[in-house]
Amino acid sequence: MRTQANLIRLLAPRLLGLALVASVLIALPLVVKSSFALDIFIRILLFSFIGVAWNLMGGYAKQLSLGHAAYFGLGAYSSTILQVDFGISPWIGMIIGGIVAMLASLPIGALCFRLRGPYFTIATIATAQVLMLIFLKFRDLAWGAEGTTIPNLGNAPLMMQFDAKAAYYYIVLGLLAIGLAITYRIEHSWMGYYLVAIGEDEDAAEAIGVNAPRMKRDIYMISAFLTALAGTFYTQYIYFIDPATAFNFNISIEAALVSIVGGIGTLWGPVIGTILLETTSALLQSWLGSSFGGVQLTVYSLILMAVILWRPTGLIGLIGEASRRLSRRKPVSA
Amino acid sequence: MADALVIKNMSKRFGGLQAVQDLSFTVRENETLALIGPNGAGKTTSFNLITGYRRPDGGSVSAFGREIVGLPPHDICAHGLARTFQVAKPFGAMTVLANVMTGAFLRDKTVGIARDKAREAIAFVGLSAKEESPARDLTTIDQRRLEMARALATQPRLLLLDEVMAGLNPSEIDQAVALIGKLSERGLTIVIVEHVMRAIMAVARHIVVLDHGQKIAEGAPKDIVENEDVIRAYLGSVTVHAPAAAGESSCSNSPA
Repeated sequence: MRTQANLIRLLAPRLLGLALVASVLIALPLVVKSSFALDIFIRILLFSFIGVAWNLMGGYAKQLSLGHAAYFGLGAYSSTILQVDFGISPWIGMIIGGIVAMLASLPIGALCFRLRGPYFTIATIATAQVLMLIFLKFRDLAWGAEGTTIPNLGNAPLMMQFDAKAAYYYIVLGLLAIGLAITYRIEHSWMGYYLVAIGEDEDAAEAIGVNAPRMKRDIYMISAFLTALAGTFYTQYIYFIDPATAFNFNISIEAALVSIVGGIGTLWGPVIGTILLETTSALLQSWLGSSFGGVQLTVYSLILMAVILWRPTGLIGLIGEASRRLSRRKPVSA
Repeated sequence: MADALVIKNMSKRFGGLQAVQDLSFTVRENETLALIGPNGAGKTTSFNLITGYRRPDGGSVSAFGREIVGLPPHDICAHGLARTFQVAKPFGAMTVLANVMTGAFLRDKTVGIARDKAREAIAFVGLSAKEESPARDLTTIDQRRLEMARALATQPRLLLLDEVMAGLNPSEIDQAVALIGKLSERGLTIVIVEHVMRAIMAVARHIVVLDHGQKIAEGAPKDIVENEDVIRAYLGSVTVHAPAAAGESSCSNSPA
């Protein structure tokens, strides 16, 4: 039973930490009343979630997609079309949007996965751009370039509309929790090993029985599904949709960047990356945005360069090292 | 003894180069067969054709009674054929244990069972001390060991080893030979591509000699080393060779 005791001793601080973080996150809107601060928190949680969705495929399996805006947009448009044209609740539209994105990922994946490395990345960029053009040019499909506003129903929880900003905060917190739980399950199962193996060396993975095309297809579907949920949420949050916001290239970039900065192929990497990048960019913009336009982009870029130069495995490695150093020191002081 | 692998008239052309031409040979179960020949003779290409990385232009490959031409590599592995690569391909970011577990998942998706099986395979190749090391930190011989353990974890019936001894020093070669001997004792069928003649003589029961994509000789080791064609094309000999010819045939007859 020693191993069991060890396991508990090993896991207890982690569970305790997780419970602590969770309760702080849940209590946060009760304490923070500033709408500006809450908006930043929502953005952080949202981009963490998108990063987590991207990281499943881009991080673990190292299939560097820069086209995840395609699924963000498909999710956003699916639920909005269903809501505006058919009066269907975005809660249902969100799931349908996820399924649409999943199905769309099949032909897109079938095309893009024929390519490897940078060629794959370029192909994914193209798919998101093509989808944006489709929604831009085919006006009968969905309002063309002007886009549309979501009819404001006041406080209508069943239609995912709320007076209180805190409600949006809890929704996206829930999404992030789901994304992290899925990642955790995958990471600790055979799938996690297979994905990392594919990311490391696809030929070697095939040699030991890994069905690489099927694994990539499956993880792309999961990643697309989750990204689409973020799309629906975002549209409901800002009450507006047009092709330029829904299929914005910045979403694709951000999804990849937060993971790369935080730590690619790790559970918490995208969250840590988003906290750093979003906070800095939001704070800099509010402090300096009015006087020195564009300065936040400069600092943002400097952070990126610093991380890529000195911490190519992401900030999560830094935290790991620090905690190892602390725990090594402990027995000495005790 | 039943036939493990039957290759008939297998051919592959890359543009103007006939890499493998009408190659036929049979590997019996529990036999160790060596594929030898000068560089560019088509040995690694043959491995790639057998294991599904390249599709032969013609001919058939049947393993344990089933035609496997056209199957993707992972299906061929699931059918019981595991291979290693000429240049070891460890999953660098993973630990040794995680590398081998990935192989073990082919037969059982439960993490605990895969871990036990992986540990067994790691112990078998003598890498237990480095179980938790990242694979990228391993030395050349340990990377080869890791590849073998990873292949073994898929529970193959036939193991294809592509130059596992290249770059090893004499004592490491002895260790590798002993390891292959142990694998053979376990009942595995082995096909080995190798340049180190000393090792081939120690492990192989049957040798197939390739030159320019064609089989030029086949037989027991002692017959092969005396075969005139083989000596001319590959092994080199005191009586036949001129210095230039020996250089060209990249004679790797280990001096050690």
